[in-house]
Amino acid sequence: MTIARVAFLALLWAGTAAAQGVTCEKCHGNRDFLVGKGGGPQGDSGLYVPASRLQDTRHASLRCAQCHVDYDAGYPHRATSRVVPCQTCHAAEGRDWEVSIHAANATTAGDAPTCVGCHGSHTVYGAADRRSPTNALNVAALCGRCHADLRITGTYFATENKSTARTAVAHYHTTVHGTALTRAGLVVSATCNDCHTAHKVLPADSAGSSVNRANIPATCGACHVGVVETFDSSAHGFAYRTGARTPTGHPAPVCVDCHSAHEIVRADQPQWLLGVVEECGKCHERLYETYFETYHGKVTRLGFNLAATCADCHTAHNMRPASDTRSSVYAENLVATCGRCHANANVNFVRYHPHGDPKDRHRYPMLFWSWLFMTVLLVSVMAFFLLHTLLWVTRLSINRLRGRGRAHSEPPA
Amino acid sequence: MTPRPLNASDRGAGPYVWRFTPLQRALHAMVIVSFFGLVITGLPLHFAHAAWARVLIRLVGGLHAAGLIHRFCAIVTFAYFIMHLGAVAYSIVQSGNPKRFFWGPDSMVPQPKDLFDVIQMFKWFFGKGEQPRFDRFSYMEKFDYLGVFWGVAIIGASGLLLWFPEFFAKFLPGWAFNVATIVHGDEALLAMSFIFTIHFFNVHLRPEKFPIDLVIFTGRTTTGYMREEHPLEYERRRTAGTLDALTAPPVSRAGYLWSVVLGFASLALGVSLVILVLWALL
Repeated sequence: MTIARVAFLALLWAGTAAAQGVTCEKCHGNRDFLVGKGGGPQGDSGLYVPASRLQDTRHASLRCAQCHVDYDAGYPHRATSRVVPCQTCHAAEGRDWEVSIHAANATTAGDAPTCVGCHGSHTVYGAADRRSPTNALNVAALCGRCHADLRITGTYFATENKSTARTAVAHYHTTVHGTALTRAGLVVSATCNDCHTAHKVLPADSAGSSVNRANIPATCGACHVGVVETFDSSAHGFAYRTGARTPTGHPAPVCVDCHSAHEIVRADQPQWLLGVVEECGKCHERLYETYFETYHGKVTRLGFNLAATCADCHTAHNMRPASDTRSSVYAENLVATCGRCHANANVNFVRYHPHGDPKDRHRYPMLFWSWLFMTVLLVSVMAFFLLHTLLWVTRLSINRLRGRGRAHSEPPA
Repeated sequence: MTPRPLNASDRGAGPYVWRFTPLQRALHAMVIVSFFGLVITGLPLHFAHAAWARVLIRLVGGLHAAGLIHRFCAIVTFAYFIMHLGAVAYSIVQSGNPKRFFWGPDSMVPQPKDLFDVIQMFKWFFGKGEQPRFDRFSYMEKFDYLGVFWGVAIIGASGLLLWFPEFFAKFLPGWAFNVATIVHGDEALLAMSFIFTIHFFNVHLRPEKFPIDLVIFTGRTTTGYMREEHPLEYERRRTAGTLDALTAPPVSRAGYLWSVVLGFASLALGVSLVILVLWALL
């Protein structure tokens, strides 16, 4: 018997029961009646479900027997009485949930969130309702019930992921997304399900996961439409689409590589702006090293966000090779790019080498010869006089040991 | 036997004689203060990767404050440089004997004798012959003095380039700022390395002078000191009968105390900065 058939029969049966004038409310809406009949001492246990409880829920129009099927009309009801699966109506959500890590992985009953675990049983309000556990403002707390639980994370997460899993919800609250929700009350800000989906929650290494590297731009792009548009046409976006890797095997960066997953902060925060340079340096190793030899880099190294970092010249999402006419570092665009900080930058000014390498004689001969001259000067002057000093001390010591007393030239008598 | 005075230029017999004019002493004090200001605010940038760099830059009030202090000290540097050039020009005009500023025993210009002195010094180091006898300025003092000339010119010019890049880009290509960065940093490193080791040793720390020679602050030395450090000048003046004209009173108590404080503070600070450089390099 298919689920749909069961549902159909249930509906049919419920209609018949109602026609017979049997109402659930008569008993399940009466606490006095329920006392001692499985309703607990107060008669207000789970069996107490007055019709008013469903009144303004999404299921207000459903009748009890539409979900509670397969019980006999006699009293007391059979213990095998069961509830029709939610998938009967919510087929797509059910299919998603069935392939999720939540459904697949639960080894202990109650560990995996089921429909009612998140949505409630009789009080299904819908995510738009503030009272719903799945309302944007409540989702972090809902997920946190398990994901901040040491037993759950300890049981179901691999050792290397345990600490990340345990701190994810706590970190989320400090992020730009989390503070937008909790402090600014902004319900359009991303919460757990916006990135991880509500029902098809899968670990990031699973290909079908919304937070898998391959799907990250689409997931973030669901809200950050303009950014992903730019990213798609950038050098990084090209490498992302083609799967190109650097000689050292790095794939193209996607959103989370620079912005992190659960520690996303505002991109105008100095600490983030300084830290993201390290991320660029993972692939752009030589440019990273030479950058830190320049004034810009040294100021950044000292922890001050007062000089240009990578994104100031190369843009944050629209980075392109210098040969691309649309690139911020294309020769003819440099006056405008440098001019963002250096108001009066001209064509001479932009001949500065922001990644100049004095050790590279062929690309930067002037830097090489300046560096060589200064180094030779420094080393030779210091070497000569350190030798001079060393010999002087030695001579004075020898003279003193030989008992000549004062070692200096004696004035004439 | 009287105890050995702390200040090397107080040692030895005889009345005091002037060695430096009040202007020269004031200018050297400006050199000290501005140079420390420049080094302390510039070093963290040059060695930005060093563990102490972030601490030092915050100690002076952050990068912005460091930049302001650095530029202020640069102005002081240009000021003493110009004041000194002015004073020299004035002296040359006033003296009626311009030649002696460019040639002879009173000149800062290196003479053949300086080369012979260097050779003689090395002979003495190896036990061959006596230590050279210096006139008013030894070759080491001339090197110090001309080193500052070279340094201020090179570091000052490159510093101005880096201070006003948009202006200088009107007639210089952008890579000039890369060159200026290299030259400015490395020449400054040479200057501080030289001053805080070689200059300190030659002037203060060698056994005959240890622990300090305050002549640059007090301006005067004993004739005994003059006979040891500048024997040829002593003899020249005694023969010419111009020694008495240099007679100076002993330094005041307050002047002495100020000299001791500034002198030792500078020695300690300079050696500390060299240690920071070594820490960053090793």
